[in-house]
Amino acid sequence: MRNKLLFGRSIDTGSWVHGVDPRAKLTGMVLYLVAIVIVGSWPALGIAAAFSLAYMTATRIPLKYFAKAAKPLWVLMVFIFAVQCITVKQGEELWRLGSWALYTGGLSSGLIAASRMALLVSFTAILTFTTTPGLLNQGLAGVLAPLRRIGISAQRLTLMMSIALRFIPTILDETHKILKAQAARGADLKEMPWKEKGKMLVSLLVPVTVSAFRRAEELVLSMESRGYVIGAPRSEYHLLSWRLRDTCFVLSYVVLVAVVLSFRWI
Amino acid sequence: MTETGLAFELQQVSFAYGPEQPVLSDVTLRIPHGSWMSLVGPNGCGKSTLAKLLGGLLAVNGGAIIVEGTPLLKETVQQIRPRIGMVFQNPDNQFIGATVEEDIAFGLEGRCLPREEMAERVKRYAEKLEISHLLSKHPAELSGGQKQRVAVAAILAMEPGIVIFDESSSMLDEKARGELLNILRDMKQSGHYTMISITHDAEEIMASDRAVVLRDGGIAADLKPSDLFGDAELLDSCRLIAPYGIRLARELEKQGVHLPAECGGEEVADALWQLYSRK
Repeated sequence: MRNKLLFGRSIDTGSWVHGVDPRAKLTGMVLYLVAIVIVGSWPALGIAAAFSLAYMTATRIPLKYFAKAAKPLWVLMVFIFAVQCITVKQGEELWRLGSWALYTGGLSSGLIAASRMALLVSFTAILTFTTTPGLLNQGLAGVLAPLRRIGISAQRLTLMMSIALRFIPTILDETHKILKAQAARGADLKEMPWKEKGKMLVSLLVPVTVSAFRRAEELVLSMESRGYVIGAPRSEYHLLSWRLRDTCFVLSYVVLVAVVLSFRWI
Repeated sequence: MTETGLAFELQQVSFAYGPEQPVLSDVTLRIPHGSWMSLVGPNGCGKSTLAKLLGGLLAVNGGAIIVEGTPLLKETVQQIRPRIGMVFQNPDNQFIGATVEEDIAFGLEGRCLPREEMAERVKRYAEKLEISHLLSKHPAELSGGQKQRVAVAAILAMEPGIVIFDESSSMLDEKARGELLNILRDMKQSGHYTMISITHDAEEIMASDRAVVLRDGGIAADLKPSDLFGDAELLDSCRLIAPYGIRLARELEKQGVHLPAECGGEEVADALWQLYSRK
């Protein structure tokens, strides 16, 4: 369980994508999201898929890792596919069941929508696979730096996010321990009817929340004893430097958006 | 009046979490530079509270704490805190970074150190604590003992003169506890640190220079660890058990085999052989 949930785990293969500035990667991912949202036809999807595959290969990380990243969301993909099939009534009728009919247009847009989702999830894994959490935080702090003008500290925001992500496996681990302790006392979640399971999960929330608060308190003490002061200046362990390669990286995404967008008018 | 050569001087320190919850009253204590003091006592006697007061994480209600000649006050706490490192009980709850490397660097970033110096310190202290191979690891991939080593490395990398260990070995297994004790011994031997360990571990207490017993919010005894383990009543009040070697020596004494007060494994083995030969 723990190994499956190593959030923000990077896989170092030493590829050139690993060396790209995290700010460029984050900007690229936003542009990729835009491109995926715009994709509405099979040729545009093909281009986005080829682009994704090229970058995934460039990371030198086995493609099965990217597929695994998308796997947990298969239910959502099936749901998106089903919604499109049910609601889109264009093209020829393929199959009929009572008053509802499946059309070629619905099937096509369902497949495109599910593929877009799969591409988005697996491709964005490039960001976490090729960037260590610390670099990612720093990149995020760099991208969010303009928020300072409206009084939001990007550094504080990213620290909060990184601590939250860091503690997810710990809290899940603890939840498992509590579940096992409850099972040892005869309250086994697996053997309960759904209604009881619901009640049990609510009762689980109390010890888990209390424990999370206790952990937070101890973490605060640890941070304070290591000299952390909110808002105080800090140096940065990871030095970020923007190079020509990073500009080219972002530009490749701009080109992708432009190409995908052009298919809208073709 | 403050005294030079002291890491800490506590003058009639009192602390309460509320009017109904007094924890410490009139605690007076002097801790010289370079010494290793064990703070022992039953659960709830205020050991961890005292550690937090010494680390500047809580403020005293009465009396004064003087750290290396500077009174620990609200105004001076930020200036004093870098001189004191604290290692806590649960290694999981003091892991701030997403990787070992980033966790060690966390405190250094707060000191605004240049990148090169941070990298050098991370490397040096990771080597010292034998965790260089773990630098890129996520906390979930480490054992309890490894996490505690990371916590110690993160504190030592900030190069404090004083290190407080707040029951740092209590959540570790036997092997990891032994490893941590060796780290503490090495630190003592280096002569660079004033160490305070809050512990129930008999071996750790024995390894220190001095044992201070805290009971009912005050200091009940301040003595050599060997004297503490020789006082059955005091041991019982602290809910402590003497190390195996001492218990064995005591049993040997009953059989008429005399051992020196601070004897090692070799002396005990000799005594056992003596007893065996006699029989």
